[in-house]
Amino acid sequence: MDDAKKYLSDRLLSEEVPVTYRLLSRVLNIRVNVAKQKLYEFHQSQNASKANSIHATYLIYGSKTEHKQPETGDTDMDNSVPEPEPLSDYAPTKTVTIVAEENLKDALAEYEEVTSFHIYSLAPFPQRDLALLSDVSKSLSDYRKIEDAAKTLDTYGIIANPQARRKDRKGRPPVPAPAPSASAPKSVKQEVPPTLSKPTQPEKVKQEVKEVSSAEATPSSSAGKKPPATLKRGASGGIMQSFAKAAAKPPKPKPEPEPKEEDTSMALSDDGEADDEDLPTSKKSIGLEALKRTRKQREEELMRMMEDADDDMKEEAKKEDEQSDEEMEEASEAEPEPEPEPEQQPKEEKEPTEVISNSGDGRRRGKRRVMKKKRILDDQGYMVTIQEAAWESFSEDEAPPPAATKPKPASTPAASSTQKSKKAAAPKSGSQGSIMSFFGKK
Amino acid sequence: MVKLEDVSSLLQAPAPSQKVPIRTDSTYKPLHSFALDKQRSYKQQYGDMYFLRLAKIKPAVEEVASKAWDGTEIGGELAKRVDRVLDVRQGELCWVAGTVYMDMRLKPNILEDVSKDRWLSAPISSQKYYSDDGSDQIMLEDDSGRVRLVGELLNSIPLVTGCIIAVMGTENTNGEFEVIDLKVPDLAPQPERWALSKAPSASGKSKSEDTDMTDSPSPNGGKKIAIVSGLSFSGTDASYDLELNLLLEYLLGEALGPDEQTSISQISRLIIAGDSISTTATKENDDEDDETKKRAQKKYGYDASAYNPLPSQLFDEFVAELLPSIPVTLLPGARDPANASYPQQPIHTAMFPLSRAYASDPGAASTSQPGWFDTVTNPWEAEIEGWRILGTGGQNVDDVFKYVESDDRLGMMEAMCRWRCCAPTAPDTLWSYPFQEDDPFVLKSCPHVYFVGCQPEFATKVIHGPDGQSVRLIAVPSFSKTKEFVLVDTETLEVTKIKITSR
Repeated sequence: MDDAKKYLSDRLLSEEVPVTYRLLSRVLNIRVNVAKQKLYEFHQSQNASKANSIHATYLIYGSKTEHKQPETGDTDMDNSVPEPEPLSDYAPTKTVTIVAEENLKDALAEYEEVTSFHIYSLAPFPQRDLALLSDVSKSLSDYRKIEDAAKTLDTYGIIANPQARRKDRKGRPPVPAPAPSASAPKSVKQEVPPTLSKPTQPEKVKQEVKEVSSAEATPSSSAGKKPPATLKRGASGGIMQSFAKAAAKPPKPKPEPEPKEEDTSMALSDDGEADDEDLPTSKKSIGLEALKRTRKQREEELMRMMEDADDDMKEEAKKEDEQSDEEMEEASEAEPEPEPEPEQQPKEEKEPTEVISNSGDGRRRGKRRVMKKKRILDDQGYMVTIQEAAWESFSEDEAPPPAATKPKPASTPAASSTQKSKKAAAPKSGSQGSIMSFFGKK
Repeated sequence: MVKLEDVSSLLQAPAPSQKVPIRTDSTYKPLHSFALDKQRSYKQQYGDMYFLRLAKIKPAVEEVASKAWDGTEIGGELAKRVDRVLDVRQGELCWVAGTVYMDMRLKPNILEDVSKDRWLSAPISSQKYYSDDGSDQIMLEDDSGRVRLVGELLNSIPLVTGCIIAVMGTENTNGEFEVIDLKVPDLAPQPERWALSKAPSASGKSKSEDTDMTDSPSPNGGKKIAIVSGLSFSGTDASYDLELNLLLEYLLGEALGPDEQTSISQISRLIIAGDSISTTATKENDDEDDETKKRAQKKYGYDASAYNPLPSQLFDEFVAELLPSIPVTLLPGARDPANASYPQQPIHTAMFPLSRAYASDPGAASTSQPGWFDTVTNPWEAEIEGWRILGTGGQNVDDVFKYVESDDRLGMMEAMCRWRCCAPTAPDTLWSYPFQEDDPFVLKSCPHVYFVGCQPEFATKVIHGPDGQSVRLIAVPSFSKTKEFVLVDTETLEVTKIKITSR
């Protein structure tokens, strides 16, 4: 009771935005019919204390007077239809009318019989343009959870359908992404310690966050907002940003259902949400000086490597990324959030250019960072080629080349490209081929 | 006339009962009459379609004709049956069956295109092929030849290219055939109800029959099917967003009071009959963006920047919200992302990232149970609640409409049933796949319900055939224009129109 009142007064009197019964039901997790009732009670009580402070719209349902044949029951289905008329038979019409308080009497006067009548929405001002209400319902999508649809129906009092069936997608929930996720944790222990003084995963992640947004973002600010901030820092920020994204990718196939696997064209842009989700968890611990130092080294190296890349192109690419990120986020809202565990792993992979998971059986397996070229059609229709770091799993003989052992990003592309054919392609490689495959296409 | 005082009691209805109505189940068996082979070839000639159609329908129309005209004597001369159009002799009273061909000045003509070396058909611009200056000619043809039909009678009976008729008369001195009488094949044999699917348990059936006769516990009538068309989800035009929302709330049973919600739970299926997505979204921006557009590079001749994903995304969200509560059948329409030629194949479920979880598994054979979200062909045939249902997205009627003077869409639908062909103008003016072995547009059996989507206004009527067939015809209006949709009672086949208004 109080919840409803509190919410309604907040929303209507303070924020001065309309509330529909559906919104109220979603916010409070109550059935729609209860929500209608709450709206009615609130409308009564508010206008009793202060007349015309709240304005309602009503939903009327029934048959209008234009019908020659009056109807008796709630529905017309039982009635026999009169004799055929010249072109079209007579068919009963039911009308749903949504009407503002001011026009209610007129609207009702047109009806012969009203079988349903309830408040549709409340607003703190007279509602001239009812189309505005459709904006309210747009915000409903925030409350929509596809996964537990059946439960949702019950919560909100929507007509349930026990027969509803979804197709079983084979392998959809687990998609264990064997190579990336398995290799990541181990590699942290093996490879990372040498380079970094503290192997603790969260710290590193944290460190990076700090580094990237060192100037303007304090650790206390919301981590989810940081990636956008880095975007504004020009070309270098863009590179780092794309690193963050690339690193975030490998674990994704696990929690994410299908967009990845089936929409290859979208895969290149679906990393945005991962950033937001990943970073918060990474924030937990405090960074260390040593981490910072190595981090800086790597950054410099990368910069050098990327120097010659065209700034404009990166700019374009960034825009593209941002846009598509948003789109993807919308599209994939329903997806379950990745659990914290796998999220942390990608983070640490940002640091080394290569992580090795298994070197016991004479083979080295792991993942390494490579620069990949990726072509995007920007919003003007121009094709833009950008370079982006991406993780690639590999497996090769022992006696690793020097390039691989040292965390030197510059050397990795060559090494990786030779290995490419042997490796199981990372999930996202479909969308952005390696440099080799890029040339191969021509 | 309802006064506020009368209904205010509804506002403060007693606390709604905690029981949420359960939607009735839908007995549903789609027929794959119009599905095309995925590996189909387009190399064939179209002529075979006319041959097949004539071969299939001619016996029927000849049966009707011989019943009517055998022994008919006019002016002391007995009407003789002639096998081929070419066998008609001048001055002899005879009757002959064949395919109608309309020669119309305004009608696109493939021969003209070829002779002028135009290899791409221009998009059809004219609203009507019909011209009232009398220049239109009606021909009757078969595999032997063609004869021009004349006579008063033809003015009263609308004909289109591709329908099969029998005519009685004589050839005059101009070589024209003077038509005295004309017969059409009339309605095809109609299957019994529950011919293909099994009726739910007998008790259930008798109970619903009770509903019709006595005052049963449920005052809401039997199960219903909702049919809507022309949802036209648009990225730019938000003028009917509110109505779309109300449609959603109505079908989900969120809107309205508890009593009505119970009645809505009887709606066992939603059929979306074409034009769900509006493609005219970017019209307004065309001028501003002209410059940029020209510069935009096209890859494979396709300007990716012109694509607006929003409409299909909105539609997907709409359907995905409905699906947990109600099964949906989706027919493509003229503006939907499916192939343009008849029969349109199902819209690919990749268009629906959210809804496709409910679609049938593409890997599974079509014999398994149909998807909860069933994207189907247009035209489409199914047995729902035992009734044979034929539906189209409306292109077939829209095309026939161009041939005739009248606006009577129901009349055209009726004519199609009586011609036993649901798309007679294919392949002449209605783009079609060049069928080789079978013309699926020929109605082998007469449906119980024939609905056509995307029509300018709602209309319905029942037509009856000579053997006791009866067909419920429904012209489903375009929702974006009329804000109307249709409920069909699956026991009585009565139709209710639901209109959504705001003021």
